[in-house]
Amino acid sequence: MTEMLRLEGLVKHFGDLEVLKGIDLTVMKGETIVLLGASGSGKSTLLRCVNFMEVPTGGRVHLMGNQIGREGRGGSFDYAERDLVPIRARVGMVFQHFNLFPHMTVLQNVMEGPRTVLGLSKSECKMRARKYLDKVGLGWKADAWPTHLSGGQQQRVAIARALAMEPEIMLFDEATSALDPELVGEVLDTIKELADEGMTLMIVTHELGFAYTVADRVLFLSGGRILEEGRPDDILLSPREEQTKSFLRGHSRFRLPDTPGQEQA
Amino acid sequence: MDYAWDFSAILQYRALLWVGLVNTFKLAALCLVLGLAFGLPVGLMRYARARWLNWPATAFVEVFRNTPVLVQIMWFFFAFPIISPFDVNAFTAAALGLTLNTVAFSSEIYRAGIQSIAKGQWEAGKALGMTRRQQLIRVILPQALRRMIPAFMNRAIELVKMTSLASVIAYGELMHQAKTISTIAFNPIEMYTVVALIFFALIAPPALAVQRYEKSLGRRD
Repeated sequence: MTEMLRLEGLVKHFGDLEVLKGIDLTVMKGETIVLLGASGSGKSTLLRCVNFMEVPTGGRVHLMGNQIGREGRGGSFDYAERDLVPIRARVGMVFQHFNLFPHMTVLQNVMEGPRTVLGLSKSECKMRARKYLDKVGLGWKADAWPTHLSGGQQQRVAIARALAMEPEIMLFDEATSALDPELVGEVLDTIKELADEGMTLMIVTHELGFAYTVADRVLFLSGGRILEEGRPDDILLSPREEQTKSFLRGHSRFRLPDTPGQEQA
Repeated sequence: MDYAWDFSAILQYRALLWVGLVNTFKLAALCLVLGLAFGLPVGLMRYARARWLNWPATAFVEVFRNTPVLVQIMWFFFAFPIISPFDVNAFTAAALGLTLNTVAFSSEIYRAGIQSIAKGQWEAGKALGMTRRQQLIRVILPQALRRMIPAFMNRAIELVKMTSLASVIAYGELMHQAKTISTIAFNPIEMYTVVALIFFALIAPPALAVQRYEKSLGRRD
């Protein structure tokens, strides 16, 4: 297996606030990582540092074997915007609030990245866009406007838009948190399908059942550090740390009784 | 009131009025095009984090927003030629004052329009790998411009009205032509009534159209 991403001592400050206090993490190609943690634990910030939506304050980021940024004078480290733009093109990101472009049709939304960023021809972009819209099951909505779609459909279009860049790794930042409960499933199915196909994924989510099903590795973050990490069985069913336990208890305080004959999770 | 209205002199001098109308239109059109074109960069400069970009733009906008246009036109006509090597005729002075005023106001419209677009739109473009410029051109401006149209139309209407100020430095626009005719024909009552009607006919249709467009925007959002 080849290494996709390596973070070494990643630190991020927002003014005086230290959100990430030294993250070490290696993600292999094809791996699915789920990040859990209370709000303010730094999981979204960590995700946003991977594609440099936020520029790290300290530490190193290696993507596909290349160290990002340049060593400056006197031990400082520089991230120039012109170096970061091509990195973002190779890392897909899906947001909590979809952020589709409302002035473009569904098809145009998905074409936009390949067209403007990769500079592919219009017909090529159209083919790509159709391919990825079909993949998320929305080829039939190509000519619709985003505002005419349900939240779940909008999020699937956003996934297709990110996929159309044919990224090396996909980041999901609470992709289902803004959805009505009955629409969550279709989006999770789409993400699951990507994981099964061997795409490298990093997922911030509050859906523990989904995390259990899809993750190769679960990280539990607290106070800007990785408190605990391991296989979903270990972290979700028999956590070692007290904080992880209380987080999981809080998330499963109310449950339906298990129906007989079904596998117990 | 037993005033006997007499519009015959106006018909007689209609060629003068026509020249005035054409000049009003020329001045307004030029100032609008230049004002909107330079308003965007100034508006963007006010966004810039770099102080050497931000500060001059802010100073410019504040100066031109907070002084009367009439004073600006007079200043460009009388003071500017003395402190600069340029010879300034009435048209240039009026155009300078009105254009710079339009730049100042339209830059604020651009700024507010761009600010009204959700931050997530910039982020979506950025995450795709767009440069800041591509985000602006492909994602932000097409959405923001639609919302700015009513404000720009109001600016254009305001500008057409302000062209009448150029009469004080004897630029031959509608107001100045009217003044000339009324001096020759001794008919200020009729003449200024007609000028008011002409301005109303010029301005009312687009103003109504803006109101309609604003209503339709409200329905869509």
